[in-house]
Amino acid sequence: MNAMMKSVFAKFAAVMVLVLLASCTSTTVDEFRRAETGIESHESVVILGRRQASDYETRSEFVKCVGERMTRGDNAIAVVPEQEFIDAMFPWFEPRTAPLRTQDLEQLMVEDVVAAKMNEFGIRYIVWVDGFTETTDRAGSISCTIGPGGGGCFGFGTWEDDANFDARVWDVGTLTNVGTINTDATGQSYLPALVVPIPLIARVEANACNRLAAQLKQFVNGS
Amino acid sequence: MIARMRPGQQHFKRRWRVAVMALGLLLSACGVNNVVVEGNFPTPNIARLPLTVAVYYDDALRDYAYVEYSETGQEEYNIESGISHIRLFDAVLPAMFDNVVLINDLEEAAQLGVDAVFAPAIEEFQLALPAKTKLDVYEVWIKYNMRLLTSEGDYIADWVLTSYGKTPTSTFGSVEAGINDAAIVALRDLASSFSLSFGQVPEVRDWLSARGIRS
Repeated sequence: MNAMMKSVFAKFAAVMVLVLLASCTSTTVDEFRRAETGIESHESVVILGRRQASDYETRSEFVKCVGERMTRGDNAIAVVPEQEFIDAMFPWFEPRTAPLRTQDLEQLMVEDVVAAKMNEFGIRYIVWVDGFTETTDRAGSISCTIGPGGGGCFGFGTWEDDANFDARVWDVGTLTNVGTINTDATGQSYLPALVVPIPLIARVEANACNRLAAQLKQFVNGS
Repeated sequence: MIARMRPGQQHFKRRWRVAVMALGLLLSACGVNNVVVEGNFPTPNIARLPLTVAVYYDDALRDYAYVEYSETGQEEYNIESGISHIRLFDAVLPAMFDNVVLINDLEEAAQLGVDAVFAPAIEEFQLALPAKTKLDVYEVWIKYNMRLLTSEGDYIADWVLTSYGKTPTSTFGSVEAGINDAAIVALRDLASSFSLSFGQVPEVRDWLSARGIRS
């Protein structure tokens, strides 16, 4: 009985290791540079999420993640928090009023109060992040039961997540779009359940955040 | 001597506790959920108009509440947004006009000799929940009737404004929090469109022009 239990456990552990190795994320980053960039130590960047679409919204948690990653490590960049900027600029950067093109930003900068606030923050680049994470290819099923003697779950579930985000970089000094960076991260998640469900989640959005932030940092620094 | 319960008695007591807990859970699922919209609103960065304006919030605005019904016709959510609307206008109006005075009835305006009276009203409120629309967003639409009157109560301008707000669902967020966040986004949308479009309403533009004020 002991030997049988050990054998079952060993097989289960082997399956888990295989699944763990398989639930990774693959990330692709594309950069399109239109002009030279560079940033001084007294200048900063603000990262804003696009929220004009009717069927999705760029999550503020993702925008915050990108901003935080850019302030860390080598060649860190000063990033103004999104909500602080939007509140300070109210009502010029709400979903209804935010500039959609650099020509709109040019018109906006004619307002003295907007130009003064931009100067106060020391904004050199505005980065517009647009995208969302989609879950596709769900398969499998898990059923859970509970009774007087106890309970548990049995089954297997899997799904694929695809996090696709675009970042457009606007130079506030020249009022031009200086480049676009696209990040696409996909990953397969697994949820085997043998009494207790064991989630093996592919962290696609976290990986997309890290790669996008690293690429943006390089791009803004001019390298 | 310590009295001990027999096994049968212990089993009965345990089943009774489970039954009471289950009943409590069932009862908590019934009844309407109350949402009082709460949020902070920043002051708009816009040029002030050189006017003294009285603002009148009638009882319909102050006590405004929207009830969302379930598919079976039962009251599901009661959303109270009157106070948050007043907080919003209290933040926006002083940034739009040199002086803002709160009045409790329209007769007070004539005595104060203000330039105009602003009396907003909510005409319609709509809510879309993810459970019903199968989208991953909470949505709020609000339709307003904005009224601008002279201090004597004569009509200057009367126009309709709509606002929209949405917020995505979050993994551990409650429905009430989603509704509140979407409503706050809608209120901010109202503030931005009202403050930026006020001078572009044709009757308001003509009235300002007659007073020698450029909008």
